[in-house]
Amino acid sequence: MLDGVLIGLATAFTLQNIAFVIMGCLVGTFIGMLPGLGPMSAIALMIPVAASLEPSAGIILMAAVYYGAIFGGSTSSILINAPGVASTVATSFDGYPMAKSGKAGKALAIAAYSSFSGGVIAALMLLLAAPYLASVSLSFQSTDYFALMVLGLSAVAAFAGKGEVLKALLMTVLGLMLSTVGTDQTVGVPRFTLGMIDLVDGISFLLLVMATFALSEALMAIIKKIDESKRDAERKAAAELGSMAVSKEEVKEMVPVIGRSSVLGFLIGVLPGAGATIASFLAYGTEQRIAGAEKGKLFGKGSVRGLSAPETANNAAATGSFVPLLTLGIPGSGTTAIMLGALIGYGIQPGPRLYIDQPDVFWSVIVSMWLGNIVLLILNLPLIPYIARVLAIPARFLLPLILFFSLIGVYFVSFNTFDIQLMVLFGLAATVLRLLSFSLAPMILGFILGGMMEENLRRALLINNDSWSFLWERGLTLTILLIAVACLFVPMLTPMFAKLRKQTKGQPSAD
Amino acid sequence: MFLSKDRLGGLLLLIFCLIYAWQSQNIRMLPFQMNSAFHARTMPEVLAVLGIGLSILIIVFPSNKERFSVSGLNWPLGLAFLVLMSIYGFTVRPFGFLLSTSVFLMAGFAMLGERNIIKLLFVAVPLVVAFWALMNYGLSVFIEPLPFFLRGGSNA
Repeated sequence: MLDGVLIGLATAFTLQNIAFVIMGCLVGTFIGMLPGLGPMSAIALMIPVAASLEPSAGIILMAAVYYGAIFGGSTSSILINAPGVASTVATSFDGYPMAKSGKAGKALAIAAYSSFSGGVIAALMLLLAAPYLASVSLSFQSTDYFALMVLGLSAVAAFAGKGEVLKALLMTVLGLMLSTVGTDQTVGVPRFTLGMIDLVDGISFLLLVMATFALSEALMAIIKKIDESKRDAERKAAAELGSMAVSKEEVKEMVPVIGRSSVLGFLIGVLPGAGATIASFLAYGTEQRIAGAEKGKLFGKGSVRGLSAPETANNAAATGSFVPLLTLGIPGSGTTAIMLGALIGYGIQPGPRLYIDQPDVFWSVIVSMWLGNIVLLILNLPLIPYIARVLAIPARFLLPLILFFSLIGVYFVSFNTFDIQLMVLFGLAATVLRLLSFSLAPMILGFILGGMMEENLRRALLINNDSWSFLWERGLTLTILLIAVACLFVPMLTPMFAKLRKQTKGQPSAD
Repeated sequence: MFLSKDRLGGLLLLIFCLIYAWQSQNIRMLPFQMNSAFHARTMPEVLAVLGIGLSILIIVFPSNKERFSVSGLNWPLGLAFLVLMSIYGFTVRPFGFLLSTSVFLMAGFAMLGERNIIKLLFVAVPLVVAFWALMNYGLSVFIEPLPFFLRGGSNA
């Protein structure tokens, strides 16, 4: 492991890569701070730049953008109560009241220290867990991989919101459908190309991500009328931050919260499909429960614990979500799904072999997480008053620029104007689906995993002489598939059981 | 309300899944695939069945009964931006990056309410030129800057 850390340090600590970490953190913070744009859009916008770099540098840049965007999202949650992403919603519960009472600087500092600690502790856990998991997963066969991918996709349903299971599953299937467009890789037969030569290579992953996130975010902002009076309040909040000092008492209060929330966040992040949002809400809820009556009352009114817990947990979960990506090649969240797509674009197949075949990429990602967190703390925090001025850019200039960067980002990779037209079409479809409250992250997960799933299933059938018996004959495959089935049906059945229990309670006893 | 958000979404996706199912039957089957357990049509057919089933379930058992309404949304402006992006896609090659992008950005700023021509020009043009220079000289990504009528020789 020490050798690995040294490889990671040697790769990450070059002048060029340090510059990429700094740039990524700043750009990520800048984009993440814009209301509506989250880590997924930030990474998507950076893929064209990362694609021109060597793999380690590209991944380091994207990881830095990821952390920067989470940090930026927290900033807009605290300053203007506008969480760019769901994972920073819980941050606004106590961060915004604190900012409203004139302690915006303090709230930002608490959030930054908590994010830093959560990220660093979780990166340490990743360092210990990833190589072990990678060596275990070396014994996995294509049948197990197929089962793992089914688990990854069904976990989306398990962690979808209340009553959203069917919608999440349908969106996953939609993503899988889109992944079948193009030439069938095994026999070379075109599928769903509608006779168009531009579709023979399939739909570009970057195009789909840009259209569904960056483009549709901007379109949503355009069609929802912009409230300029609210924008004035944002400008005022960004201009008056107050002191960033944190007292000794506040630090004492934060330390145990950070310890608990880091572990919780990391473990939740490791679960495929769970991610930073659930981690931040769970950490907030846990701290509120154990805070006691007196401290518990402060939650929602500017509590230090209430701000520190979700901030620590969402950063720890972001790090945790790299575990399934790096060790199994299965993305744990929408953001890591985008990262996976980018890695595949480099010709790198994440999974247990990554640890052996490309240790520089594996370890530099882990080391860059520490580096990214340090940069965020020592560089971004003091720069927040200046970066926050991005909130002052009028929407009438900002939105067309986001559209431009999305379009040109895709065009600069393919130099095919057909891609721009396809993006417009997908952008329209994504906006309609968003307005109808259909989440797009499961679709991306399905799109990324679709090709791999089909390939592994084909290979498994080939090895087993076209027999499906591997599904129940191999113990590991069967176990993973059973967990997947449980993931699918437990969330669907839970409300039914609850309803049934309620009805039984309401009725007089039979005896 | 029958046309709730969920039902409308389910209906749109059902139409998509039905078209997908129909198109899946156009996938060419090679002779040696006919009797194999898994061929080029297998995954699309399974997905089509799953998609149709899930769409119907959403239509029958909607979780979100909120009615979809376009009031309060500036749809015409959204559609105008989609048209603008499409036009940009058609013009970026013949009219070159500098001209087409500057016009795209200025039109976008103007559509969102900016009326000052000086501001339109001073925000869009320097930004486009700086971006082109960064891509061309910084990242070695070349894109034709000039419109077809200003290109010399065979490029025209």
